[in-house]
Amino acid sequence: MAGVLVVAEQRQGKLNRASWETIVGAQQLGGDITVLVPGTQTGAVANELAAAQVKEIVTLEHAALEPYTPDGFTAALQDAIGQLAPDFVLLPHTYQTRDFAPKLAARLDRAIITDVTGVKQSGADTVFIRPMFQGKLTADVAPLGPGPHFITFQIGAYRIDQVAKGASPAGVRALTVNLDASQIRQKPEPPFQQAKQAVDLSQAERIVSVGRGIKEQSNIHVAEELAAALGAEIAASRPICDAGWLPMERQVGSSGQTVAPKLYLALGISGAIQHLVGMKGASTIVAINKDPDAPIFEVADYGIVGDLFEIVPAIIAAVKS
Amino acid sequence: MISVLAFWLLFLAFAGAFAAQVAKRVQIIAAAPNNISLDNLPFRINRFLVDVVLQKRTIKERPLAGLMHAFVFWGFVAFGGYTTVEFLHGLGIVDLTETSWFHGYRLVLVPFAAAVLLGIVYLLIRRAFIRPIALGDHVSIESIAIALFITTLMVTFLLTFTLEEHSAAGVVNWWTHMLVILAFMALIPASKHFHLVLSPLTVLLKSPELGNLPNLDFEKEQVGLETVKDLQSKMRLDAFTCVECGRCQVNCPAWGAGKALNPKKIILQTQEALLAGGSAEAQNARKLGEIYSEEVLWQCTTCGACESQCPVGIEHLPILIGSRRGLVSNGDAPEYLGAMYNHLERRSNIWGLGYDQRTKFVQTAALETFDPTKHDVLIWLGCAGSFDADFQKSLRSLFEILRARGVKFGVLSKEKCTGDPAKRTGNEYMFQELANANIEDLKAAAPKTIVTSCPHCVKTIGNDYRKFGYEVEIVHSSVFVEELTREMRATASAERVTFHDPCYLGRYAGKVDEPRALLTRFGADIAEPERNRDNPYCCGAGGGLLFADKEEEPGSRISDVRFKQLQATGANTVVTACPFCSIMLKGAQASAGADTQFVDLMTFVKNKL
Repeated sequence: MAGVLVVAEQRQGKLNRASWETIVGAQQLGGDITVLVPGTQTGAVANELAAAQVKEIVTLEHAALEPYTPDGFTAALQDAIGQLAPDFVLLPHTYQTRDFAPKLAARLDRAIITDVTGVKQSGADTVFIRPMFQGKLTADVAPLGPGPHFITFQIGAYRIDQVAKGASPAGVRALTVNLDASQIRQKPEPPFQQAKQAVDLSQAERIVSVGRGIKEQSNIHVAEELAAALGAEIAASRPICDAGWLPMERQVGSSGQTVAPKLYLALGISGAIQHLVGMKGASTIVAINKDPDAPIFEVADYGIVGDLFEIVPAIIAAVKS
Repeated sequence: MISVLAFWLLFLAFAGAFAAQVAKRVQIIAAAPNNISLDNLPFRINRFLVDVVLQKRTIKERPLAGLMHAFVFWGFVAFGGYTTVEFLHGLGIVDLTETSWFHGYRLVLVPFAAAVLLGIVYLLIRRAFIRPIALGDHVSIESIAIALFITTLMVTFLLTFTLEEHSAAGVVNWWTHMLVILAFMALIPASKHFHLVLSPLTVLLKSPELGNLPNLDFEKEQVGLETVKDLQSKMRLDAFTCVECGRCQVNCPAWGAGKALNPKKIILQTQEALLAGGSAEAQNARKLGEIYSEEVLWQCTTCGACESQCPVGIEHLPILIGSRRGLVSNGDAPEYLGAMYNHLERRSNIWGLGYDQRTKFVQTAALETFDPTKHDVLIWLGCAGSFDADFQKSLRSLFEILRARGVKFGVLSKEKCTGDPAKRTGNEYMFQELANANIEDLKAAAPKTIVTSCPHCVKTIGNDYRKFGYEVEIVHSSVFVEELTREMRATASAERVTFHDPCYLGRYAGKVDEPRALLTRFGADIAEPERNRDNPYCCGAGGGLLFADKEEEPGSRISDVRFKQLQATGANTVVTACPFCSIMLKGAQASAGADTQFVDLMTFVKNKL
């Protein structure tokens, strides 16, 4: 049976959820699954992961692994892979993985397939599916050469709720590796968050956006009430922010923020292309406009032609009930 | 005899000063990468006759000052022979002053002298007291001196008719006249009056194509203009020719909207950089982005007003866009362009949208794939036509008109951005990639005529693609439909509208009569805005500024200025003929909260059919 090693990702005792997806990938691949948890303060994460149906959880604690450095991780994992001798090494395709995994594979001179979205069997071969050309095509890729083969899974490739849980928690053991801290050439600065805009609409799940159809500043509250009822952020097209009815940082469009919410409710927005390009990433677009020819209806999933001052209160009432 | 000797000494001293200054400038020009061309000579000669001999460009925009300038110019030309004869006489070479033809010639010069006097006195008053903003903040002492010189020359000439030649007064008069000419000559090269000598040359050498930007040759590692060393010969010649009249400045939409860009300043900064002292090496290594300021370079919409209004043949766009090329090559493009370049690279259109949207439009509008055996013309949709739902309405109008008139047309199965925004923002590499891909597809489709509603595509395919050896007839829809509907008359009653000439249609393509003919044919009563026809005021979208967040800041938006000009006509309907003008002006209208209606020219016509 093939030995499959999943490298989980955690920071200061907090698991990166994408690690669960990689375990699902490992279960799809089949084999004896070992989950490796490198870093410091690995205990809680190891116990959390032990719920999965896997052979065992192995912690890899070393003071030199905190903070993360590509040199430290490459050296530690090289040693651990030597000890565990897996056939496959599976990683979530996170920023951290992207940083060290190519280096690790090159160090061992083994094949790596990145950004994988699925696994399948093709005859005797295990084949990995990965997107090409901005996702227009997918390619079936089989790793060549001696193992272990490195596979990184695209975030979202598997759903976490698909993970098979074990009848009883898997065993947890610790692995000791040789790691010479003096060989780590990187000295990371403490992490910091780049000064964000006061309002970061790019992360909003729901957005209620206002255009000229709102007519007057005193009507803005109608949209604000809807936003409050939906738990949504309020945003606007250029003329509204120009007029100072809403602050500039709430402007969506090519000259404002680019947003990708699950729900984008456009109230009285005609849909000039410069606004549309700022919200084209929204999953569901609902437009309310009294002009049936408004370009916004070209991109809307749901369009309501009518007076927003009649429709919005009705929506608020429906949401509240 | 002594006077001849004295005149010789003075002549040599002043002529030497003149020659030394000229030689320095000739050297600076000769050291430059050469871009002098005389292609399309008949066009150049015609322009020389119109703009230099007839002074059309000088007179057109400023009729009074221009006419006065023409008086002075024609007077100077007329006096050429007189001055030569007097110099030959003064230098003791030959005395022709007593010949009968010279007496006749002098009499002919009298009305010219009067005209020069009238002209120069007016120009002196204008410069010293009226002081139009285009001439700068302070009164130029040197210009005043030159004006007084010219006045003196004319007065001393006229006095020769009343003073006895050999009297003391007559001798003083002659010497005054000749000394003024000598002083004038020595002052010329270092001043804006060098245009007397250079402008006939620069007008002749100016490219027949507005905004001519030859392709960069990457094999030769050309990357655009980075430092002073890269400034080409015509650019250097231009810098020494500038007459500082400020026509470029007052016509610049960026300057008009209160931005820092001033095309006149760009030319004068070029001159200053070329003449700056210090070691040639240090001088040559100065970065253009620092000389002009990067911020300023990114404010140009490439509307072409500066270049097309310049009376002395200066080409601003090759300097402005050439410097952008230098910046882009070094990764110094502003952030908003990075996003646009990404869109062009990944999706081949400026919006970054997926091509399924174009396909959807092609299907819903029932467009066929172009086939030269079945179709008369190929319709080029462009980025706006492919993706902007608002502009697609006007394309549907165009299709309806064409179908009604029995024109068979098709589109390409795929189409990339022509590369206009890449070209105009100096991303030459990306432009050439897009151009080559499109040219390959166009060659395969082999249309004889392309019709498009986007004036930027007209310029790029019509002019820029020609430099790759691809020639095709491309016409704007207004021109095509105008010809198609000549015998038609609308039945609708007259409607008051104003028309906004797109820069790339009115100024670049010179198509100003066709859209107007269409409008009036179909019942429009056109209220002309200020800045129209071949000198329109830009909407603010060109040169990649459609994507500029700075351009989007209220207070200095070109689109707001233009919208007010259009509003001032009193017409409540604005007719547009370019998708980008439409986007910008509608944005300005929405921000102003005005109820002005916008309609694309094609939709206007369709509604009246």
